[in-house]
Amino acid sequence: MSGIYEGLTVVELADRRNQWAGKLLSDGGARVIQIEPVNGSPGRWCGPFVKDKVDPDNCLDYWWNNTGKQSVALDIERKPAQDLLRKLLTRADIFLESTAPGALANLGLDYGAVAGNRALIYASLTDFGQDGPWRDLQMNDAAHLALGGQMSSTGYSDATVTPIGGQGHQAWHMGCAFVLHGITVALFDRMTSGEGQYIDVSIHDACAIGTEGAVPQWMYYGETMYRQTGMHAAPRRLPPLELPTADGMYVMAINQAFNKRSWEALLDWMDEKGVTGELRDPKYQEESVRTAEYRQGTIIRDAIRRLIATSNGEECFHRAQASGISWAVIRAAEENYEIPHYTQRDYWRNVEHPQLGRAIPYPRGPFACDELLLEPRGRAPHLGEHTQQVLAHDLGLTAEEIAALTAAGVIK
Amino acid sequence: MNQQKNPATDNASHLHKGVLSGIRVLDFTWKTVGPWAPRLLTHYGAEVIHVERVNGWDDHRYHAQPSIVTDTPDANQVQGGKKFYADPYFNTLHNGKLAISLNPRTPEGLKLVERLITKCDAVVENFSAEVFSNWGLTWERIYELNAKIVYMSSSGFGHTGEWKGYRSFGPTAAAQSGLSLASGLPGQPPAGWGYSYLDVMGGWMGGLALIQGLLKAKKTGQGMYIDYSVTEGAMSMVGTYMLDFQVNGRRTRRPDFPPGNRALFPSLAPHNTYRCAGHDRVGQYWWVFIACETQVQFEALCALMGRPGLALDPQFATNEARVKHEDELDAIIDRWTCARRRYDIMQKCQAAGIIAAVVQSAEDRVEYDPQLHHREIFPIINHPELGDFPYEGYPVKMSRTPAFVHGRAPTLAEHNQYVYGELLGMDAAEIAGLRERGVI
Repeated sequence: MSGIYEGLTVVELADRRNQWAGKLLSDGGARVIQIEPVNGSPGRWCGPFVKDKVDPDNCLDYWWNNTGKQSVALDIERKPAQDLLRKLLTRADIFLESTAPGALANLGLDYGAVAGNRALIYASLTDFGQDGPWRDLQMNDAAHLALGGQMSSTGYSDATVTPIGGQGHQAWHMGCAFVLHGITVALFDRMTSGEGQYIDVSIHDACAIGTEGAVPQWMYYGETMYRQTGMHAAPRRLPPLELPTADGMYVMAINQAFNKRSWEALLDWMDEKGVTGELRDPKYQEESVRTAEYRQGTIIRDAIRRLIATSNGEECFHRAQASGISWAVIRAAEENYEIPHYTQRDYWRNVEHPQLGRAIPYPRGPFACDELLLEPRGRAPHLGEHTQQVLAHDLGLTAEEIAALTAAGVIK
Repeated sequence: MNQQKNPATDNASHLHKGVLSGIRVLDFTWKTVGPWAPRLLTHYGAEVIHVERVNGWDDHRYHAQPSIVTDTPDANQVQGGKKFYADPYFNTLHNGKLAISLNPRTPEGLKLVERLITKCDAVVENFSAEVFSNWGLTWERIYELNAKIVYMSSSGFGHTGEWKGYRSFGPTAAAQSGLSLASGLPGQPPAGWGYSYLDVMGGWMGGLALIQGLLKAKKTGQGMYIDYSVTEGAMSMVGTYMLDFQVNGRRTRRPDFPPGNRALFPSLAPHNTYRCAGHDRVGQYWWVFIACETQVQFEALCALMGRPGLALDPQFATNEARVKHEDELDAIIDRWTCARRRYDIMQKCQAAGIIAAVVQSAEDRVEYDPQLHHREIFPIINHPELGDFPYEGYPVKMSRTPAFVHGRAPTLAEHNQYVYGELLGMDAAEIAGLRERGVI
């Protein structure tokens, strides 16, 4: 088995912000050693849990974000643990951390203290980066979506209703995407230079450039975006595109041009449902006429709304797509398991979970590519599952030394 | 504040030569998700040649406001006598690239594409699945031309499987993946991701795939094909919900999900947006997000609101109790915030150690955010026509191989001479002939 990060050793200081980046390094074949506090990563305590029973070894969010990693439980507030971590970093390729800026300097674990390993890539993913006036503010994922601008463009067309930050830790994901860019570029450089480097990524910076047209619209035109239900934010109010279906779903009927083939198919479908109205009028055979009416008028939009209201969600999706119309049905994440397309693309990877007595199908990875091979390499570790192994085999500690550290509560 | 020395920003080098200088990318992407990926390489010095098809110009070039649009896309946009090189979003998405025109639907044009493929390290496109192969550019043919090349197709559903012919934009992929349903108020239609998330993050993940491909090719000397499905990428951003379904049978399509801006895993209260005094330029209310993840933070919030007794009230004394009485608690906080200024609330909460963040608009971030200003996230760069103008930056600070921002997108076919003349070694008469025959 190969993978883009095969052969690399990553040391990751457990944190909810960086764990998805560590997961993708592990999925790419790297050996990722996650250093956790002795009572477990904060990522083990958030839930959801297996059968909703709180258990740090059974947190599903942790399972997802930590596939294939090794867990070493060390109390890095204690000196002997700091020495062990420093020693581990002398032979690591990548160090991934999200502690508050300055915290690791106080423990003798900042970049300067460990850069004796010239090849080390030291990557810090933090809320605001290592400097600046807001550096030490308190944040979480939703707070980032607020401050970074995502919420300002997301929500409902009613101007009195709250803006919305979506679920699933997407601000942290945006930060992780960029820390992975930095790490991968640093690996590219290291192949020729032999040198590692320090990488500083701020989640706030990443979110701030991630609002699509909102920033250019402000910079060039001085315009503010309207939030619109289920749609792109835009500088002008637009008719709704998120439309309810007959079976209680929603279709994303995105704006697009209708060429002759799409238009004919749409009219046939409308005829079947009896919602065509005046659209058989020959003037709509002219693409420019129907495009102008669709952009500025209500006749075509109303017909589309009626069409979707009298059709089922799946019918809308497949029938539109078969006619070259890019509509989508709004699915729940779990509904994708039933879709043959993803199975045909070999998208699911069974990960064994002995504590459940069965394997669970996980999403493969974002790209289908045998040479990069990003896929889960096994289940997430139990708390401290690899402490003994790493201390004994990687760091050469004796059984007595390990027992003494365990007794002192430095490791678990 | 105790400012540490920051090794990633103390390096002052801003030379426009980077770690990817010498890498050349042939970029057939258009619209939004696709162009992000190769643009991200320009920040490291890669030479990205954006190919615009004769008679099929990227619609981001001219989907600007009528005031600056000319009907003929071969004329540069003009506003107030100043040339715009494209519509604003084109200028952002294609910043730092080179541009050529080319008609690959002619045999002569296709030959030029093939010659360019032999000169490049990567080729990227985000057409529908059949387009490249209809031109004859299957992976087998591309590999035959250049065995070291990284070919990435970026599409909604990938290039295999029964949906390979289906078309997609960012919001389509977000809807199909489960992301759109994970955003909104309970009992209301999905709020989706209005900025739109996958047009942005989908491109960033595509950029990651490209960098990974180039790294692998540098190691092995072998090219590869990357079949990037934006929907599959998005599904790997909602994996926790997939596992919750597999293990607990809990669906995200359920009455109490999504929970608006409240927190579910773990349940925490308060954790919401609250209305503040005033509204933005288009009449949308102003809001601040506040969350307490610890008892200490909640007690600090009660003190700040002048209601220290709340922390002792059995309805709110513990997180569990607060979650149970979240509506009542949110109403109390709302009454406190609605007559106050949003940045003042944020500042006072943060000074007391409470999580608080203004819901910032683009204007707020570009003009007033002191952190983004300090980090130079919207750098001012001199533009030959507009003068000094702000741009969107690149958020990775690296100590040895710093990234940089170029400053503008290319004008239409600006680099035909360089690409056809220098790279492919054609003389002026040959290039003129191509132009006359409508190939470029």
